[in-house]
Amino acid sequence: MHNNLYLLLSNLDHVVIRTAGCRILIWALFACLFAPVTSSAHLLNMTELHLDSTHPTSATLKIKIDLGQSLMTAEEYWNASTSDVQEQSIIIKEIADEIKSGVRLTVDDRSVDFELHAWSLEASSLEAIKNPFSPQMAQLVFDLNSTMPSEGSVEIQIGEQLEVPWPALLRMDHASSPLPISRLLTESERTSRPITFGNYLETPEEELSAKAVLAIQTLVPGLKWIALGFQHIIPKGLDHIVFVLGLFFLSTGVKTLILQVSCFTLAHSLTLGMATFGLVSAPGAIVEPLIAASIICIALDNLYSESLARWRLMMVTLFGLLHGLGFASVLSGLDLPRENFLSSLLLFNIGVEIGQLTVLMMAFVAVGWMRSWSQYTERVARPATISIAGIGTYWLINRITFI
Amino acid sequence: MKNNLGKERHAKNAVGILFVVCSIAIFDVAYSARNSPPLSFPLTGRASGQFPSNWIHGSKSAMDNTDPAIQVHAYNEHTYILRENKAINYEGAFMYLFFGNGVAMLIDQGSTSSPALFPLREVVDQIIRGWEEQHNQANTELIVANSHLHGDHYAAWNQFVDRPNTVMVGLTHEEMMAFWKIENYPQQIVTYDLGGRELVVTGTPGHQGSELAIYDGWTDLLYTGDMFYRGRLYLEDWDAWVSSIRKLRSIADRYPVAHLVNNHIEMTRQPGVDYPIGTTWQPNEPPMQMTLDMLDIAVGATNDIGSPGIYIYDDFLIYNQIPWYTTTDP
Ligand SMILES: [Zn+2]
Repeated sequence: MHNNLYLLLSNLDHVVIRTAGCRILIWALFACLFAPVTSSAHLLNMTELHLDSTHPTSATLKIKIDLGQSLMTAEEYWNASTSDVQEQSIIIKEIADEIKSGVRLTVDDRSVDFELHAWSLEASSLEAIKNPFSPQMAQLVFDLNSTMPSEGSVEIQIGEQLEVPWPALLRMDHASSPLPISRLLTESERTSRPITFGNYLETPEEELSAKAVLAIQTLVPGLKWIALGFQHIIPKGLDHIVFVLGLFFLSTGVKTLILQVSCFTLAHSLTLGMATFGLVSAPGAIVEPLIAASIICIALDNLYSESLARWRLMMVTLFGLLHGLGFASVLSGLDLPRENFLSSLLLFNIGVEIGQLTVLMMAFVAVGWMRSWSQYTERVARPATISIAGIGTYWLINRITFI
Repeated sequence: MKNNLGKERHAKNAVGILFVVCSIAIFDVAYSARNSPPLSFPLTGRASGQFPSNWIHGSKSAMDNTDPAIQVHAYNEHTYILRENKAINYEGAFMYLFFGNGVAMLIDQGSTSSPALFPLREVVDQIIRGWEEQHNQANTELIVANSHLHGDHYAAWNQFVDRPNTVMVGLTHEEMMAFWKIENYPQQIVTYDLGGRELVVTGTPGHQGSELAIYDGWTDLLYTGDMFYRGRLYLEDWDAWVSSIRKLRSIADRYPVAHLVNNHIEMTRQPGVDYPIGTTWQPNEPPMQMTLDMLDIAVGATNDIGSPGIYIYDDFLIYNQIPWYTTTDP
């Protein structure tokens, strides 16, 4: 419940009308309630501050305040509202000076002054001003003495010497921000604390790193798509990593490895591209278990083959097509830009390839240098391959039962 | 293929693979046991809840009040209703805390700013901690939202501004609408995903021009804020309120509604009789929740009322655009 318009008396009156017999009782109840209520009832007439700098050269600070319950007595406020313009302006200017000395506006660490520009006084009657349930608000509009910068920080404080009806709602509009910013000042927290707007960044380091990112992005606009592709292998594409490692542990030379990876890459780029154009699609419930099965196949083949069979290349190509389909579902969630769809798709793929190459390079660094060791197959490749088969089997069971 | 591959080799491979599968399975089970499965908030059926038989309703003397500043009531395990002590502020405002996976939403922040008098943040933090423990959740984000923009609903808002992991929706119409993604206020009806808990949200102006109604599909609670409650319905815009109340009815036609819930109690149990404004002791107050029958009476009122005035119904009073000086004196 909250209203600015309605008076306690009207409410009591209608209660009294309905239950005339209880008239005395209700007034007695009212009398004992009134004392504790008046202090908290001030919430109805809370103060509002509006710093409007949508036009930076003519920024204003509007203050809506229940003067008759705070800086003036109800009688003074009533007199002011009923007196002629000249007299009123003298009274209000005095009040405005009090507000100016109590409200501190800081922009980028320097204090900004403001001057009274216009005002309006709401005053239905002296009783209304006196009654805390029917706030009669005054609105004072101040002009800021300086231009608001396009970026910066603003702080508004209400000094201890200025008592306004609490809390005070602050609304700030700024040319650089599509949305207003709100803060609540309370009797114990009389400051908005610094509010930043525009591209203003608080610390120099932040500024530097943000600028670096911006600079790289403008230099290489496609970087974002390459990065996204890379991320879909490391760390998000665990399937892919395991599969590529499966290819790696077929204990043959570097040449056969490159041959396999190339076939795989070309194949999955093909289905990925086709899927993003909507030419092919397959439900995850089928593709995901098949991908797990492909990992098992590759691992088992590693265990029982010594050289690269021709049909293995066919198999790897086939699996590449499959993995491409699995990727397509991810890609559809990416929102590739319509204007340069092809180039971003290509860049995404390049990112995927860089990710795969990184996996292979890491494998080389970790164990690849041991390849000439006579025990390499028994001590390294076999256990690794068995682990890969195990992971594939686990995924297969998991995906069949949970998808 | 190796021709001389013995059976022993096959067996070794198979055992190795099986060992890896089992190890991962054990690890996976242990890991997922640590991270309990996500909470689910199905729209079918109804998550039931309880209201207290009586809310704490103030005391004869505000000075001698020994009740907690904030009454915390668990409507059910993921829905909390809070009430500000009427001895601290006569508004006795209700506040709501809805939980979803990883997120809690506090709707309204009472009528008192001072954390010493009204430690809302402390109480909310306590509820969140308890809830996290009970449901194996961590790092719950808090969203500080409002039903509408009246000071008695956000006085303690500032207690949350420096709270970590907190989203402050904001105290302007524009910020509110941006948060809920309402582009066409008040007509638009949007759904909001609160960590898997679907809320249906729409504009219901009339009492105040930024008011929202929220329907929670999991509990079937329809939250109506200040535009419909057991009390004096102060209406600044009659036509807007008419549309809003009819829209609430159409929402209730479309979705099952268990109770209508709101923010204040100002009526007595005696039909048509309210407590005077500012009352801090309401020994004879009715329940806070309302029924669809009461909503129907309000819908009926939209057809009956044609001019500003005070209109008395059993469960609420309509203060239609009454200037302060108007009385019902003959
Ligand atoms: Zn209200």
